[in-house]
Amino acid sequence: MRGLRLITLILIILLCGLFAYVAEDIPVFGDPDAPAIKSVELFTMKGAEGVSLLNRQIVPGPLSGELVRRGFPRPSRVEKAAGREGEWNGFIKKEEPRYAAEEKYYRIEREGDDLRVSRYAFVVRWMEKGLEETAVPNMVTYGLADYRGYDTLGETTVIFTAGVSVILLLRRRSRL
Amino acid sequence: MKEEQGERDVIIETVARVMIPFIQLFALYVIIHGAGGPGGGFQGGVVFASGFILYIIAFNLAGGRKRFPESANTILSSVGLYIYAGIGLLAILFSFGAAQYLNYGFIPFTSHFEENRALGMDFVEMGIGITVMAIIASIFFDLAEKDEKQKEGEDG
Repeated sequence: MRGLRLITLILIILLCGLFAYVAEDIPVFGDPDAPAIKSVELFTMKGAEGVSLLNRQIVPGPLSGELVRRGFPRPSRVEKAAGREGEWNGFIKKEEPRYAAEEKYYRIEREGDDLRVSRYAFVVRWMEKGLEETAVPNMVTYGLADYRGYDTLGETTVIFTAGVSVILLLRRRSRL
Repeated sequence: MKEEQGERDVIIETVARVMIPFIQLFALYVIIHGAGGPGGGFQGGVVFASGFILYIIAFNLAGGRKRFPESANTILSSVGLYIYAGIGLLAILFSFGAAQYLNYGFIPFTSHFEENRALGMDFVEMGIGITVMAIIASIFFDLAEKDEKQKEGEDG
């Protein structure tokens, strides 16, 4: 018994050390100056010759090829981001099993002589299209009850099951 | 019975009597306004059940059971879930099998697809609220009953 306790103590100290080691790499949570994570950077392309093509709403060939080489869907068209110079939105075409309509997918930014290509996070679509698609202004509610309706049905079932379990465990009577 | 008389507290009883209707009205507000503002079925259901819990704490268990009987509790706890699943099934029925389960837009509440989705969500939230309220109340009743029985056993 004494030996077991000692081993447990050593294990706890070891785990604490491991946690301290790992925790150093955890980024600071809730940094108010951090930018919102609205897109994920994919790659940077050299050469600004694509800019003139992008301004004429044509997808440059090398950019398209690089995206396909990396396994991303081919952009169907580009459009200037509203009110911002040197920034474009890339769209991908309707693809029935995954996208019911044309989707805003890539964000292309000019940085000096380079083009920085990133992919929009899903949350951007969620925020921009939610009110339009569901006529509900509360972002949490349309996520909970509509986009993730199956999930919530399961959660309600879990609560129901919890209640039934408590009844079965605590209500020991002849009549249930 | 004598002990119960001794434990009664006029302040708590009066405050509970005044507060419970407002708590439950607020719960209904939270459920109904889940789409437009902060709130929703889960939160509203818990707030509604807390009205019953306050009643039992301030008064007694038997009175609470009389106001929210076991039969109603059992029925309501499954009715909410049936409303949720039924709304999902209505989408299939009204579109003759074309829409997916829980695709509220195809239920013809109004002529607009988007508003159908909003209304479907409201009904679903109500279902969640009913189930959560009944289950929270049921769990509390069960725990309180067990506690009371144990107390009786210790006394006798």
